[in-house]
Amino acid sequence: MKSRSVIIVGAGPAGMAAALAVIAAGLRPLVIDENPRPGGQIYRQPPTALEIHAAHKSTNPLVRSFCEQLKCMDLMLGAIAWGIFPPRHVAVVHEGRSQVIETQHLIIAPGAHEYLPPFPGWTLPGVMTPGAAQGLVKTMGVRPGKRALIAGTGPFLLVVADQLHRAGVEIVGVVELASRGEAFRAARGLLANPGLLWEAARLHVRLRLARIPIHRGHVLIEARGTDEVREAVFAPCDADGRPHRSQARTVEVDTVCAGYGFVPRIQLAQLAGCRLRFTEELGGWTPEVIEDFQTSVPGIWVAGDGGGVAGALAAQLEGSITGFAVARQLRSLDEKTFLSKTGPLRKRLARLTRSRVALDRAFRLRPGLAELADPETVLCRCEELTRAEVERGIDAGGKDVRTLKVITRLGMGPCQGLMCWPATARLIAARTGKPVAAVGPASVRPPIGPIFLGDLLAEQPATRVEGHA
Amino acid sequence: MTARDGETVAAALLAAGRRVLRRTARLGEPRGIYCGMGICFDCLVQIDGRPNMQACRIAVAEGMCVQTQHGIGTQEQAP
Repeated sequence: MKSRSVIIVGAGPAGMAAALAVIAAGLRPLVIDENPRPGGQIYRQPPTALEIHAAHKSTNPLVRSFCEQLKCMDLMLGAIAWGIFPPRHVAVVHEGRSQVIETQHLIIAPGAHEYLPPFPGWTLPGVMTPGAAQGLVKTMGVRPGKRALIAGTGPFLLVVADQLHRAGVEIVGVVELASRGEAFRAARGLLANPGLLWEAARLHVRLRLARIPIHRGHVLIEARGTDEVREAVFAPCDADGRPHRSQARTVEVDTVCAGYGFVPRIQLAQLAGCRLRFTEELGGWTPEVIEDFQTSVPGIWVAGDGGGVAGALAAQLEGSITGFAVARQLRSLDEKTFLSKTGPLRKRLARLTRSRVALDRAFRLRPGLAELADPETVLCRCEELTRAEVERGIDAGGKDVRTLKVITRLGMGPCQGLMCWPATARLIAARTGKPVAAVGPASVRPPIGPIFLGDLLAEQPATRVEGHA
Repeated sequence: MTARDGETVAAALLAAGRRVLRRTARLGEPRGIYCGMGICFDCLVQIDGRPNMQACRIAVAEGMCVQTQHGIGTQEQAP
């Protein structure tokens, strides 16, 4: 079996920054990412005929710095880290073959995925996450549709509305859960970070010039259509996100982008045995962090949105601090240098956190969202279980993941519960009166990513992890 | 149909106006691009006779045969 000093899973802002810090300390990391090019979802780059090792054109300074250091790291792109076998064996499929690599330190930087509470029509083609629409425009140069409604909560909706508009998609409006007053208070929270405030202001001006209405204090309640989405229905809502249905409005669209914040991708940390805790503001269950983004398992670190959703800027700072902390533990960085390098990063992170707290409060999830689904709305997109079926399962005793899975098959499809569990946990909590934290995270087992059995058979050299199945 | 080099199957189909990528096994519902990042498994299609291929992750190739997947799909040939 191969052995490394540092493996980093994820080449988004956190993973790239961690790699650069580790490299600055004279170490050679192995970086693994599932995408064909580095950058993560936020700095996702268009495909190119250019070799990854050739000069780079990304406008993002972090991506550029990362690509300048390619010779100082080993990089696996289009690679699926499908399992972690304790204590620190990383199983990865790359170019059609599987390897299990042992590492002294593992930095998990998988990022987050978007959260959607199920609502009637959310499975129709044309209904997608804002991130999916953004990706199509940004990396593929393909418009997701001609006429779109953007709905959900959070500043990301405005970013996507602007990008789609500039790509030539007609945006009929942005439906934002937070009220005008809440949005204003969030903007005040940005005063700690004038750069962010400036960006937000520019974004608002651009949307206004484009005559894109922002319906604040409103909620999307339904997407309609037979084979594709044709209409979207939204209404004003109360502070708990419950719609006033008598004032509902219907708009003709061929695209609905809906997103209510992000959920950390914790599956690798779970497999590594990291202790988790539930923090609503950070997107749900996150690995508990002991010090400097080290988890409860020594040598396993989690940086960026995968450890709690805080955005790309915070992820980058967390990644840098984690990289330096790992280097210090490996004695490639002395204490004094470590403190001088990380001190300013910690200060900037603390400042970002002050703004994040204000944003989290305004753009929070609300109890009314868990009530949007009809009895016949599909909750588990893979196994096609309706709300009525899931509720029957809960009432029959499925008040935790394991039992509900056994009773209903919820979360047993290819997405492994990623898409349905965050909302289902809230549904169970609402139905049983338990706090969401007590319902527990979805259980995971490898492989957590899409791999072919043939790839495992092609494993070479033959490796064996003693004592773990 | 034609597609640009490097484009994903999902993007190429969308550009050609095809948004329904599969029909589900139980309810026969249409599904298309949803998460766009390879984790929701809603954009599954059959590619060159192989079912359950993620249209949002796989790049198009010359001569590729892409079919709508019905249910769990059918394996047409040994890979």
